[in-house]
Amino acid sequence: MKKIRIGSFLSVLLTLLFIYALVKWGIPAMSREITSLPFPLPVPGTLMFFYMVLTIVALFLYVTFSEEGLTDFLRPVKKFLRGGYTKIFRAVVLTAIPAVIGWQVYEIVVPKVEVPSALRIQHPSSNFPKSFEAKKNPFSDPTEAEVDAFIEQAKANEVVFIPQVQDDIDHWADESEPDHVLEFFPDGPMKKLLAQVQDGNVDKATAKAALLEKTLYEGRALYAMNCRACHGDSVAGDGPMADGFKLRPIDFTDNGTIETIVEGYTFWRVTNGGPGLPTEATPWDSAMPEWKLSLTEEQRWRIILAEYNLAQKTPRIPESH
Amino acid sequence: MRSILKSQAAAIAALALVCMAMPAQAAFTPSKPMPEATDALLEQGKGIYFQRCSFCHGLLGDGEGPAAKYLDPRPRDFTLGTFKFRTTQSGELPTNEDLFRTVSRGLHGTAMQSFDSDLFKNGLSEDERWAVIAYIKTFAQEFGDPELDPVKTGKVIPLPANQPPYSPELVAKGKVVFEKAKCWSCHGKLGRGDGNKEFRKDDWGFPIRIRNVTHPWKIKAGGEVKDIYMRFTSGIMGTPMPSFVKSLNEDDRWNLANYIKSLQHQLTGHQTLRALPVQGELPDDPADGAWDGAAPMDMRLAGQVVAAPRWQNPSVEMVTIQALFNDKDIAFRIIWDDPFMDVKHDAEQEFDSAELSKVGTFNSYVEANDMIPRALETFRDAIALQFPVKAPQGTKKPHFYRGSSSDQVHMWVWKADLHAAGKQGTEEGNARGWKQAIRPQAEDGQQIMGKATWDQGRWSVVMKRPLKTGDKNDVQFERGIFIPMSVNAWDGSNGEHGLIMSLSSWHYVFLEAPTPMSVYVYAVLAFLVAAALGVWLMRKAEKEEEPAEQGA
Repeated sequence: MKKIRIGSFLSVLLTLLFIYALVKWGIPAMSREITSLPFPLPVPGTLMFFYMVLTIVALFLYVTFSEEGLTDFLRPVKKFLRGGYTKIFRAVVLTAIPAVIGWQVYEIVVPKVEVPSALRIQHPSSNFPKSFEAKKNPFSDPTEAEVDAFIEQAKANEVVFIPQVQDDIDHWADESEPDHVLEFFPDGPMKKLLAQVQDGNVDKATAKAALLEKTLYEGRALYAMNCRACHGDSVAGDGPMADGFKLRPIDFTDNGTIETIVEGYTFWRVTNGGPGLPTEATPWDSAMPEWKLSLTEEQRWRIILAEYNLAQKTPRIPESH
Repeated sequence: MRSILKSQAAAIAALALVCMAMPAQAAFTPSKPMPEATDALLEQGKGIYFQRCSFCHGLLGDGEGPAAKYLDPRPRDFTLGTFKFRTTQSGELPTNEDLFRTVSRGLHGTAMQSFDSDLFKNGLSEDERWAVIAYIKTFAQEFGDPELDPVKTGKVIPLPANQPPYSPELVAKGKVVFEKAKCWSCHGKLGRGDGNKEFRKDDWGFPIRIRNVTHPWKIKAGGEVKDIYMRFTSGIMGTPMPSFVKSLNEDDRWNLANYIKSLQHQLTGHQTLRALPVQGELPDDPADGAWDGAAPMDMRLAGQVVAAPRWQNPSVEMVTIQALFNDKDIAFRIIWDDPFMDVKHDAEQEFDSAELSKVGTFNSYVEANDMIPRALETFRDAIALQFPVKAPQGTKKPHFYRGSSSDQVHMWVWKADLHAAGKQGTEEGNARGWKQAIRPQAEDGQQIMGKATWDQGRWSVVMKRPLKTGDKNDVQFERGIFIPMSVNAWDGSNGEHGLIMSLSSWHYVFLEAPTPMSVYVYAVLAFLVAAALGVWLMRKAEKEEEPAEQGA
């Protein structure tokens, strides 16, 4: 079989195209295999530039290594310039190349209309007060005294709820005439507590779990009343108001949000909202309210307890110093 | 650093997965029929209902949960056994699959969201959705009566399998049906929900907001042709929306559904309003033909939920803006849909938000129906454009909600009552945060001119002003600069006034700068140099190598 020689000009051209294609499409395609992510990792523009410069330098060295090599390389170029591949082809190429260059120059010098964009830092710490770092949710671990008080309330059938849920509970109690007000809770620690109250033998661990369930119920109600409009029923940042804000409400089910921060940080953000953010977090675009103006500390902590629970996340543990 | 990258990668991955998962979920149909309502299933359903549903629908299922009275439309009262969105004949109960669809898809434009765990990580799985539906069915006795079961009694209206493909011919035929069936008598000639001269009430006594069918994000039970078809067919129980199953044949209903689909507005999507330069005078009339050439930008608005008094039942959810300028002036045309022209304002009925603004108040949201009058002839319609007073440095801006004490905003507030009284409708003012009212500028600072019209459920307002004013409290317009802009809107008959309103976050207006002459000069120069080089090389090659070629 006759070996086809393609000439050094064409092989240089093909090498350039091959390397370009490899970096542009080959590497991203391979990255998908390696990382098994559902999207390719693109090669940054500067890296692409670097690879191509290296390739051109190497090809230049290869071509100019010997006099014959250079002559070999230039032969088709010269033939083209003399019109050896028809004069029409020569005219087209010699017009097209300057046109492309002119267009590129235009692209570079024409004033660009680009929306000013800011790199936004999602969890800014520049103005996060140290005092909040170690703050613990007082409701996640009730004291013995609080548990005892709850046991007494349960025994006397006089459990005190936050006023926001009281109407619905009263309404339910009027209709269902229960023996005990806590009966509306579904199966779980509260049912266990009720059974123990009936037997007159309440153990503190059960009461503590039941108290936590009650706090969660109240926190969820406060969440539904205050936060749901933006952050949504499923705490996925998709409430009925979400589409109206350019900076969308945070999706708490996302692994990069409330799970990566300490409770004290969540409390600080809920407390001070958008206006409490430092400049690098673009406070002027945040619709997050300064909840300290509307909610008491207790209400805010109840909501935070419910928020983590609804998102099925746990806060990061503060580092001990 | 690595963890940030990792979380970003994970976020992108999650987003990509959600995007890929979306089309597959479009049907919202279960893979298997509802399981038998055993005690265990009901107990499971009760647990889910308690955690996820009771705060709106109430422990008793009567739609009286703690969050209910702040919502419009109200959460469904399950004890009545009346359901709006069904595939059954008017007056009948819904099928299990109807309930499954509503729980899975949610009702767009309402507080009822999707609970599909394929769309949301902590939504409900198919089994969980069936369990909670089984529990919800225990609230209404009707569901226990086999004689009322629409499946057993043959009252289900299945969606015909032969849905005709969408085409301009069907749309044109549908328009005829729209006229014939008098859809416009409620929904308005152009579908903007402006057909009635006053509010009607639903079966529960609450004022009906007739659907503006051009806003697809508000179409509760789905904006696809087959969803719309089903609404004419089954009717919406409890509301004046009847079933047309007897008056319109199947073809007519398909045609009509195609026509309604064709009315749906496509959002423009961009965040920058490009103001275009024009020669000669700028129009101050919204009906002027010059506006046809101006590029529109749609802005989505949300209820004002940033500070008390919070409002989550906004009426104006989209505003479309255009802008034109010449060497002296700039003019904006602002368009938004509002079914009633509210031109009266009774300041005495304004809401006193002192109680709602206290720390630890019962709730800082305004109730949907009892706190403020949502009636005609009470409050005016209004719209405001907001700009920063100081040209922003970098990306820094005042807060989108009226700026702050250190960073004031310039407000152009148009009021329908002033317009109706024959006065100039737009007042200029300044705000330093939402805590204080907008401070009107002095009379000699009032420079905005323009006219307004209300037609077929739509306001069009023009605001025109010199590009530059000498006033240090005014925004100044310059070509080639991105100027932040946002909107506040009030629908008077929706009870809106003061901070009870809807608002947008920051967008931009950009006055196109002329391309400098030097740009073209550089480009042409580059072309000429490259071409000359080419010709020179060509000549050189022709001279040099011809003998060599001959020699070979």
